[in-house]
Amino acid sequence: MNNTFKLFEPFLSRVSRSFRLWKRSESPESFSVIFDRFREVLERNNRSLEIITDMGEKLGGDYLFDVMYIRKAYGELREEIRGSILNFDLLTRNRYPELHAAYERIDTLIRRMVDGIPSMAREMVISFDNIDWHKFREVGGKNAHLSEVKNRLKLNVPEAFVITTDAFDAFIDHNGLRERIAQRPDAMIDETAMKALQESILQGEIPAVIDIALRDALEKIREKSGDCFLAVRSSAEEEDGGFSFAGQFETILNVHLDDVAVKDAYKKVVASLYSSKAMAYQRQLGYEIGRMRMAVGCVVMVDAVSSGVMYSTGPGGNEGYLLINATWGLGGSLVEGKIDGDLYVVRKESEPEMVNAAYGKKGSMMISLKEGGTTEVRTPDDMEMKPCLTGEQIAELAREGMIIEKYFGNPCDIEWAIGKSGTISILQARPLMIQGEGERPAIVDEDWADSGYALLFRNRGTVVQKGAGSGKVFAVKHPDELNSFPKGAVLVARHDSSLFVQVMPIASAIITEIGTPMSHMATLCREMKVPTVVNVGDAVLTLKQGQEVTLYAGDENTVAVYEGVARHLLARGQADSVMMEDVYEFRKKRYIMRYITPLNLVDPLMNEFTPEGCKSMHDILRFMHEKAVAELVESARRESIRSRGHGNVMKLDISVPAGIIVMDIGGGLDVHSDDTKATLEQIRSVPLRAIIRGMVHPGLWQSEAISLKVNDFLSSMMRMPDIVSDSEHYAGYNIAVISKEYVNLSIRFGYHFTMLDCYCSDSARNNHIYFRFVGGATDIVKRSRRVELIAAILREYGFNITTKGDLIVARLANIGRDETEALLDKVGRLIAYTRQLDALLHDDSAVTQYTRDFLSGHYEH
Amino acid sequence: MAGYRIMVIDDEKIVGDMAKMSLEQDGYEVETFLNAAPALERLREERFDIVVTDYKMKGIDGMEVLKTVKKLFPATKVIMITAFANLDAAIEALRGDVHDFFPKPVKIKELKASIQRALKRP
Repeated sequence: MNNTFKLFEPFLSRVSRSFRLWKRSESPESFSVIFDRFREVLERNNRSLEIITDMGEKLGGDYLFDVMYIRKAYGELREEIRGSILNFDLLTRNRYPELHAAYERIDTLIRRMVDGIPSMAREMVISFDNIDWHKFREVGGKNAHLSEVKNRLKLNVPEAFVITTDAFDAFIDHNGLRERIAQRPDAMIDETAMKALQESILQGEIPAVIDIALRDALEKIREKSGDCFLAVRSSAEEEDGGFSFAGQFETILNVHLDDVAVKDAYKKVVASLYSSKAMAYQRQLGYEIGRMRMAVGCVVMVDAVSSGVMYSTGPGGNEGYLLINATWGLGGSLVEGKIDGDLYVVRKESEPEMVNAAYGKKGSMMISLKEGGTTEVRTPDDMEMKPCLTGEQIAELAREGMIIEKYFGNPCDIEWAIGKSGTISILQARPLMIQGEGERPAIVDEDWADSGYALLFRNRGTVVQKGAGSGKVFAVKHPDELNSFPKGAVLVARHDSSLFVQVMPIASAIITEIGTPMSHMATLCREMKVPTVVNVGDAVLTLKQGQEVTLYAGDENTVAVYEGVARHLLARGQADSVMMEDVYEFRKKRYIMRYITPLNLVDPLMNEFTPEGCKSMHDILRFMHEKAVAELVESARRESIRSRGHGNVMKLDISVPAGIIVMDIGGGLDVHSDDTKATLEQIRSVPLRAIIRGMVHPGLWQSEAISLKVNDFLSSMMRMPDIVSDSEHYAGYNIAVISKEYVNLSIRFGYHFTMLDCYCSDSARNNHIYFRFVGGATDIVKRSRRVELIAAILREYGFNITTKGDLIVARLANIGRDETEALLDKVGRLIAYTRQLDALLHDDSAVTQYTRDFLSGHYEH
Repeated sequence: MAGYRIMVIDDEKIVGDMAKMSLEQDGYEVETFLNAAPALERLREERFDIVVTDYKMKGIDGMEVLKTVKKLFPATKVIMITAFANLDAAIEALRGDVHDFFPKPVKIKELKASIQRALKRP
C-alpha cells in the first residue's frame, strides 16, 4: 500500500502545486499561448530525437564519418534542445531550474570529448560504489565493467576502489616523465629507453594528492572488511567496448592493506604499461603509443576455496554453450596455463545444464600467504582429481555468466572465486574477442527453405535492432508481468514500452505488434543490442505462450521468425556490428553517444525522475516531455473552469445527452460564425471525434433508469463535497478544450468525474492519452469494484494504471495515430458504459462479468 | 576482390581506419594516408586501382589529387568524399573525371558498390 501511495505521490503533489499556482496567478496566460509552447517543446524534442537517431545510425559502424560530422550534428542537437528548454521554462514558469544544470553538465562532457579536452574533475581515487556513468573513462575499462557488475547487476563483487587515470597523469607529471612516455607513431620502440622509463616509474614518488586519497580509501576498506589483502590490477583507459589486454599488464595479488605496499604494487602495475610486449600490442591495435593512460583497481582478495575463469560463450563460436575452467585455491596458475583444472561445458538455457566435464589433475594450487604474496603448494592427494565445483555452483556461475554477457551485449571472459562460505564473487569481466566466421552474406531466399525449421512469419514489421535471438515466447500484457519474465525468453507484447528495459538484460529478443523504431524502447533495444522487431501486426498471433522460437532481424527489414532454435541463424545474426569495434578511432569517437542516447529515466514514477537524474540528452528530452504533458493537462483543466460562460465556447450537438461544451483553440471545429452548436460531423479535432464516436456507440445509452438504492444515494450525498476539491467548478458542465490534434475533456456523469487528455498526431512520439477517473455514488465496496472494472479494461488495452481509493490514473504514450483513435473510441465507450454501472456491481463476480461483456462488445446492462 | 589495391587519403584518421577495416574484409589491399603529398609519392612507386580521397584537405587538396592521378595514371579511378556537399565542388570533380562523389558520412555499402562498379568498367 505504501508503495501505491509512493507511486501516486507525484501526481498528488502536482495537482496541489498547480492549484497553488492557479490561485496565485491573477491573470494566467491564455491557454492557446501555453498550448503553442507545449507544441514547440514537442516539435523540438522530435527533431532532437531525429538527430539522435541519425547520429546513432551514422556512428553505428555502417558509415564513414569524421569529426566535422559529429560537430555539425551535435551542434544542431544542442540548438534544438536549448530551444526546447527555453519553451519548457516558459511553459512551466521555471518550475525546474535544476534542468539547466543537468543540461550543462552533460553538454560540457560531450563538448570536451568532441574537442578532446581532458576532464576537470581530477579525482585521484574512487570507490567502486561511487563509480558513476560519467566516470568510466577515469576508472578504465576493466574497473568500469566490474563496477557495473557490482552496482547495476548487483552480483557479488568484493569491496574495491580505483586509482584513476587522473592520478596516473598526476604521477607521470610529478615525476617529470611526460616527455619520455610520448612516442612518435612511426618510430621503432627503443627497448633500452623503455627499460629505463620503467625503472624511473618504479623509483617514482607518489604525489601527496594521491597519497592522501589512497590512505583514506584504505581506511574505508579496513572499516568494512577488516584487516584484509588486496589484488592490485591494471585497467587501461576505457574508450568504448575495447580490447581485453589479457595478460599484457601486471597484476599483483595479496597485497597488504598498507599504503607503502599498495604504492609499490601501483608503480609495478603502471610500469608494466611500458614493457616492450605491451607496447607492441598497443601499436598493433592502433593505439597511439604513449597516449594510453592507466587506472589501477584495488580489490579485496577473496580467500578462495576454488576459483577460475568462465567464457560466457565457447570460443569455438558455439553460442549455445559456455565454458567454466576451475581449480583449487587462487586462479593464477590456471590463467597462466600452468595446470589443467576442471573444464565444464554448460548449455545456456534458463536452467543451465552441464553437458560435459573433464576433471584435470590439479597437482598444485596457489594460495595466499599470511605475510602477503602468494605461493604454490601441493594439492592434498584426495583433492587432486576431485571436481572443484558442485552442480549447484556450476549452474549459478552459468546463470551469472549469462546475465553478464547479456548485459554487455558481448561474450565475456569472467574471473570468479568461491570463498569459504560458498559465495561466488566476480573478480573481473572483460570482453571476449571471438573470431567471426569471415564473410557472412545476407540471408537469401534459399535460406528460408533450407533452414529445416518451420517458418512462422517473415518480412513483417520494422527492424529496430538487428541480430538473432531465440527462446520461449513470453507474452506481456501488463508491466506487472515483467516481474516473472524468465531469463532468455522472447518478449512478445502488443505495444512497445520503455518499461521493458528491466528485462532487456535477460531477454533474447523482443517482438511487438505495434510500435515505432524511434520510440524510447527502440533506443534502449539498440543500446542493449536486443534483437527487436516492432509493428509486426497480427503476425504476433502466430506466437504461442511458451513456444520456442527464433527471431532473425537483418538488413533492410529482413525479418523471419521460426519455430524452434535455429542455431545457424543465431550465428549469422551476431555478425554485422562486431567489425568496427576493432577500430580504435571509431570507438573513441563514438564514445560521445554514451551521453546522448541512453535512456535512464524510464519510468516517470521512479524516484530518479528528476532533473538531477538526467544522465544523457535523451533523459533531458524525456523529462521535459513528461512534465510538459503534466503542465498541459493542468492548464487545460484550469482553462475549462475559467472559460465557463465565456463567449468562445460552443455546445456540442450529438445524439446522446452528454451536454458537452467545446472550446476550440485552433482547428478543432469546422463551424460557421452564426452556428450556435457543433455537430459530430463538424468536429475536426481528431481525438475528440474519436471519443465522441465511442460515446455514441449503439447500445450504451438505452438503459437510463437504473435505480439507486437508498444506501447508494445517501452515501453519494455524503461524499459529494470531497469527490474532488474543486468539484463545484465542474458542476453542470462537461467541457472539452480542443485543437486539431488535442483534447482535454472534463466530464461528469452522475457522480463520476472523468478527465481525459490526449494528443493525437501523425507522429507517434508526440501522442499520449492521460485518463483520470474519480468519485461516484454508492458505498465503498462498490466503488472499489468499479475501480477494479475500469482498471481491468484499461489494462487490457495496454494502459499503465495507478489507483488509489476510487481514483484511477491511466496513461499511455508513444502510440500511432490510428491506434490512438481506436483506443479513444474504446475509452469513449467506457466513459458511457460506466456512467451508472457501479450501482449494479453487487458482488465481485459482477466485475469479471461486466469486464468480459465490455471487452466483447456487449454493452447492455 | 583479392589483388585490387585501394588508397584512402583523408586528414582524419578515423576515416582511413574505418575504410581500411571494412575494405580489407572484402579482400582488397588498402593503404591509408593522412595527407596527399606522401600519398602521391607512394602512387609513383606502386600501382593502385582506386584512390578514395577527401575533397578538402590542408596542403594538396582532393582536386589536385584527382588531377595528378588522372594525368599520371589515367586507368586509376578516383572516388571523392567530402564533408561539404556543395554542388560546385561536385561539378568541378565530375569535369575532372572523378568516378564518384560522396558527401560524408558515406554509407560503406555504397562506397563498396561504387568501388565494384569502378573495377568492372574498363
